Amino acid sequence: MASFLKSRRYALTSLLMLSPGLAGFFGLFFYPVLVTIVRSLRPEGEASGWTLQNYVDFLGQSSAREVIVLTFVLAISCTVLSILLSVPLTLLLRRKLRGHRLFRLTILIPITVPGLVGALGLLLFYGSRGWPNLFLTQTLKVIDQPLQINYTLVGVIIFYVWHYFSYTAVTTLSTLEGLDPAYEEAARVSGASPWQVLRHVVIPLIMPGVLAGSVLTFMAAFGAFSIPLITGGNYRPLAVQIYKQISIFTPARWGAASAMAMVMAALQLVFLTFYMRVMRRREA
Amino acid sequence: MKTLKQYLRALLDAKKLLAYTFLLCFFLWVSMPFVMIALKSIGKNWFGKLWLPPDLTADWYKWAIVVTNIPEVLKNSLVIAALAVTIATLIAIPTGWALGRRKIPGKEAITAIILLPRMIPPIAYALGVAQIFYRLHLIDTHIGVAIAHVAICAPYAILVLSSTFEALDDRVLEAASVCGANNMRTFFHVTLPLVMPGILSSLIFTFTTSYNEFTLTLMTYGPKTMTLPVRTYLAIGEGYWEVTSALSMLLIVPSLFVLFMIQRQVQPEKLVGGFKGV
Amino acid sequence: MSDWMIELVDITKRYGDLVANDHVTLRILRGELMTLLGPSGCGKTTALRCITGQNIPDDGRVLIDGKDVTDVPTHRRDLGMVFQNFALFPHMTVSENVEFPLMIRRMNKDERAGMVMEALKLIHLEGYAKHYPRQLSGGQQQRVGLARALVYRPKVLLLDEPLSNLDAKLREEMRFEIRDLQKRLGITAVYVTHDQEEALALSDRVAVMNKGCVQQVGTPAEIYGQPATKFVADFIGLSDFIPAKVAAFEDNSVVLAVNSERIRVPAVNGLQVGFDVLLFIRPNDVQIRPAQAQEDNTLTGAIDKSTYLGDKFDYRVDVHGIEVRVQTHGAERFEIGEQVSLHFPYQRCSVILDTEVCPVR
Repeated sequence: MASFLKSRRYALTSLLMLSPGLAGFFGLFFYPVLVTIVRSLRPEGEASGWTLQNYVDFLGQSSAREVIVLTFVLAISCTVLSILLSVPLTLLLRRKLRGHRLFRLTILIPITVPGLVGALGLLLFYGSRGWPNLFLTQTLKVIDQPLQINYTLVGVIIFYVWHYFSYTAVTTLSTLEGLDPAYEEAARVSGASPWQVLRHVVIPLIMPGVLAGSVLTFMAAFGAFSIPLITGGNYRPLAVQIYKQISIFTPARWGAASAMAMVMAALQLVFLTFYMRVMRRREA
Repeated sequence: MKTLKQYLRALLDAKKLLAYTFLLCFFLWVSMPFVMIALKSIGKNWFGKLWLPPDLTADWYKWAIVVTNIPEVLKNSLVIAALAVTIATLIAIPTGWALGRRKIPGKEAITAIILLPRMIPPIAYALGVAQIFYRLHLIDTHIGVAIAHVAICAPYAILVLSSTFEALDDRVLEAASVCGANNMRTFFHVTLPLVMPGILSSLIFTFTTSYNEFTLTLMTYGPKTMTLPVRTYLAIGEGYWEVTSALSMLLIVPSLFVLFMIQRQVQPEKLVGGFKGV
Repeated sequence: MSDWMIELVDITKRYGDLVANDHVTLRILRGELMTLLGPSGCGKTTALRCITGQNIPDDGRVLIDGKDVTDVPTHRRDLGMVFQNFALFPHMTVSENVEFPLMIRRMNKDERAGMVMEALKLIHLEGYAKHYPRQLSGGQQQRVGLARALVYRPKVLLLDEPLSNLDAKLREEMRFEIRDLQKRLGITAVYVTHDQEEALALSDRVAVMNKGCVQQVGTPAEIYGQPATKFVADFIGLSDFIPAKVAAFEDNSVVLAVNSERIRVPAVNGLQVGFDVLLFIRPNDVQIRPAQAQEDNTLTGAIDKSTYLGDKFDYRVDVHGIEVRVQTHGAERFEIGEQVSLHFPYQRCSVILDTEVCPVR
């Protein structure tokens, strides 16, 4: 009996200690999400009544589909390019050349500063008076007019990669460094050239880690807000569209915004679960 | 024989050169935007097709201080950050302790749940937070914005603190009491010094997260609680990018400074994810 | 065609201030199993890695089958290697693992399948072709490692402490399997271990290493019976070292003076009268007699300690301040304090110089 009470007390104390964190989670995340869901099901501007009109309005428009497609295109391109950048980068960093610590730190720089500051810097750098353009027009003299990078789709994707590749790179690096060197030794002794070792042993073995990291990149890119807000130009992915509903329109269209937010969250969840299932199958 | 060796060595050196070039290009690609901002903030008469500003000036900073009201904005940012840190740490200490040291069923699930606000882009729940705050009249209050920040500050604080507390070896505490220390003395002389580094890095990280936070602030701010990131955003819209650059430097320099400081103590890599083994 | 399959000629390898291999010269015969034996850090793995090409020596040459391969990268040396932690590719099945070297060599599919099957039969794991390494036991994984190393019939098989991760009983079984396989295939093998029992049981010859240099190369019997240095004597089995002075030379023998007593031992080169040396013998070769026994080659002393070990007795005998360890299965028991006579059979004694200096080869 005493031990039963004791374990009850233990459990209660644990619960008590967890409660601030759980309360924070519920109050600042879970409840707001509920509020948004409810709001999305209410008619615009009203405080009661249920309707699906917001969703119909949003999904019915062809422009809505365009927005979703755009968001996906940006997120997927960003993720793929991040992987293509991270893998060679981390393979080189692994060798611990001189100054490798500086380069490892460099990976973290984009996520240390707020997005909009990076966005400003990118706009300045890739603008018509920025150094790449100056280099092309003045130094190499291969083109007469500066390239338009800012506000183009390619430009936005580059900016996305700049901001979000860190997650992929960091996970890839730690996966790579956790790889037992014996595998590569075994492959080399078996006759595999360095390239074959990469192709048949290293890359297959780090793939799960790379993909795990790229999930973070994808999630961040899918929900990207400050970057496209400032540098998107005419390209307005989901997060920006949501914000516009409540910032541009008067009265603010909370219903529409909430519906879009829910669609976005649902899409993210779908992709996430599909992705996790693929990963599980790979492991088995 | 010797020429073969020389040839091979040359090839090896070439590979190294290529590697260095790639890494250098990478470093430049990441850091150039900041260089531009820095130059823009101190450059005078930098129009046209010039690589570097022809003159340097501190005018933009002076302008920024006056026009964008930096002292006020900075004060807001710091006050809100201080509040956010306090609340987040107060939440994180008991929660982190529980997760780090007590037996809890489904610990991994709880950890994943707590990290959710960090993994899901803020816009998804910022809407809800904004609406709730409107009803509670928390919009445009320092405490309101701070509470909103807690949503993204607390998860990491909890994570860092839970692993700090987990690392606290029971046997060290036991040794202390065997040596004659009661609970109070053990706490002050043994526990506190051991967890201090973890708490410090949690504080620093939480502070910078709040200082840099934009999306949630955008949804919950008002004229009285203009923070540095929001003011910078407005400045970008206004179009005077020299002034905006000056403002941005106030965000860049502390962040990079903290990054360099932290990288000695904590492995920043651990702070990025939270996604343990999918 | 020379007799040597592998030659490490005057290999020196440094890591910063540490000299991992110090002018190491080793020659390994075709078809023999040579073991590199020594404590951790002695340089045996470094030497092995010089053979594989993982390490590039700072000085010296590496020859395999008569060809200088010092500058040849690992993947072109045509070797097979077995690892301590098996190093089976976790993302490939057993047959894919074994097939890997053949796939790298772009052999055609049918040929590959045939050779893989043969290799699996060799290690008695035909039924496990589709399994993944994590589904196999330690012993099975190591056997797959063997199959992968041997499938393309390399010239040389290298084994880096392959049994260290297995439990004791499995180790003994696998020892026989490995030796058996090596003999059947007639393949030259280099085996690295710190376990002296393994070395003595498996090898044609053993190279004992310490602190980066080779102390002695010989057959297991030579290493055990005629250790060349104090380290080798001490590392293999139990040893007694008794300080002595060279007193005289007689035919093929050396007479050593231990205090006032004289011991005759088989002659060894490089000695002169008056040298300080060590008389070496294995504790279970020393014969204890009651004090009155009259015999050649004896030292007198008193029993200091006595330990009963089940199948034998372990005595520490005080011989004029020097402790001599003796192990006997004898029926006679000796008491502490009892005066005894220790007989050193001529054939079982040896002279060793008391030095840490590495014999230069």
